[in-house]
Amino acid sequence: MNNFTVLAKKEFVQMVREFKVIWLPLVFIFLGLTQPVVSYYLPSILKALGGGQGITIDPSMAAQKGGEVLASTLGSQFDQLGVMIIIVSMMGVVQSDKANGMLAFILTRPVTVGSYISGKVISNYLFVACSVVLGYLVSYLYVILLFTRVDFVDLLVALLFYLMWILFIVSFTTMISTIFNSQGIIALISIVFLLGCRIVVGLSPVLDNVNPASMSKHAMEVLILGTVNTDVIWSVISTIVLSALTILVTNIWISKKKFNNE
Amino acid sequence: MQLHYGWDEFKNVDFMSFLPIILPVIAIGFILVLIALIDLYRHRKTRKNILLWTLIIIFVNTLGPILYFVIGRKDSDRI
Repeated sequence: MNNFTVLAKKEFVQMVREFKVIWLPLVFIFLGLTQPVVSYYLPSILKALGGGQGITIDPSMAAQKGGEVLASTLGSQFDQLGVMIIIVSMMGVVQSDKANGMLAFILTRPVTVGSYISGKVISNYLFVACSVVLGYLVSYLYVILLFTRVDFVDLLVALLFYLMWILFIVSFTTMISTIFNSQGIIALISIVFLLGCRIVVGLSPVLDNVNPASMSKHAMEVLILGTVNTDVIWSVISTIVLSALTILVTNIWISKKKFNNE
Repeated sequence: MQLHYGWDEFKNVDFMSFLPIILPVIAIGFILVLIALIDLYRHRKTRKNILLWTLIIIFVNTLGPILYFVIGRKDSDRI
């Protein structure tokens, strides 16, 4: 048993104790369910509530393809509420350790900062990724049930692209959680920055190449069009580089802080 | 546009057509509320603002239980 597995195990114990292991997957399943069900019933909801006179619902508009619905699950549920929930659930990841002195205690042991951070990031990432995959699969089942089939290869490729974006979310939140001390500020900065990233996607092609959030756009494109844009390679590279950079900043910050204290 | 529905009109609604599809959505929301309430009840001695949290969990749809798990539980740890 090396340090990394011990620390990762500690993270999982913490998650079980906070009930995170139950509610985060449930929330993502809920988000995944909502989009197909709402888009399936949208015509009847409009008919019942929209003020009946003179409104006709174009039947061709209602016939959405399965891939489009699945893409809008990613784009309008996971990318808004889902990202906020990931950030809120992860804002204390290093901050709570700092607040109750656990970080200083762990670093007095023969544990490198690197294995501490990688234990944190990887265990949290695996868990968040499992929740997202679960919600995505439930959404997929509902799309098959209510709409048309989605190609399974497209599904997997889109999922992989989306998980890259999740990786950046997790590492960025860890970095902010290391730098700042108040949970409110951590949540505010992460939410504003990451949702800002998501909003500016598609404004300019140059910006998209260095924007990790464009992975989400590529995932949606794969689901809707069934083809992979060749620009995706730049986004993959920039997402990996930026995630590595945030982890590096976290590493440097913790090591420096330790020197300042002692 | 019809805004007011009477009780007898419930018979006209075909519940079985959409119940199997809607039911999982309701069930998951219900499980979240239930877990949050059970946790709140078990720690009712150490929590603050129990009445407020109960109202938030029950009435704020899906976000209420999440807020409780993230914020409501953390406060008690500091005591």
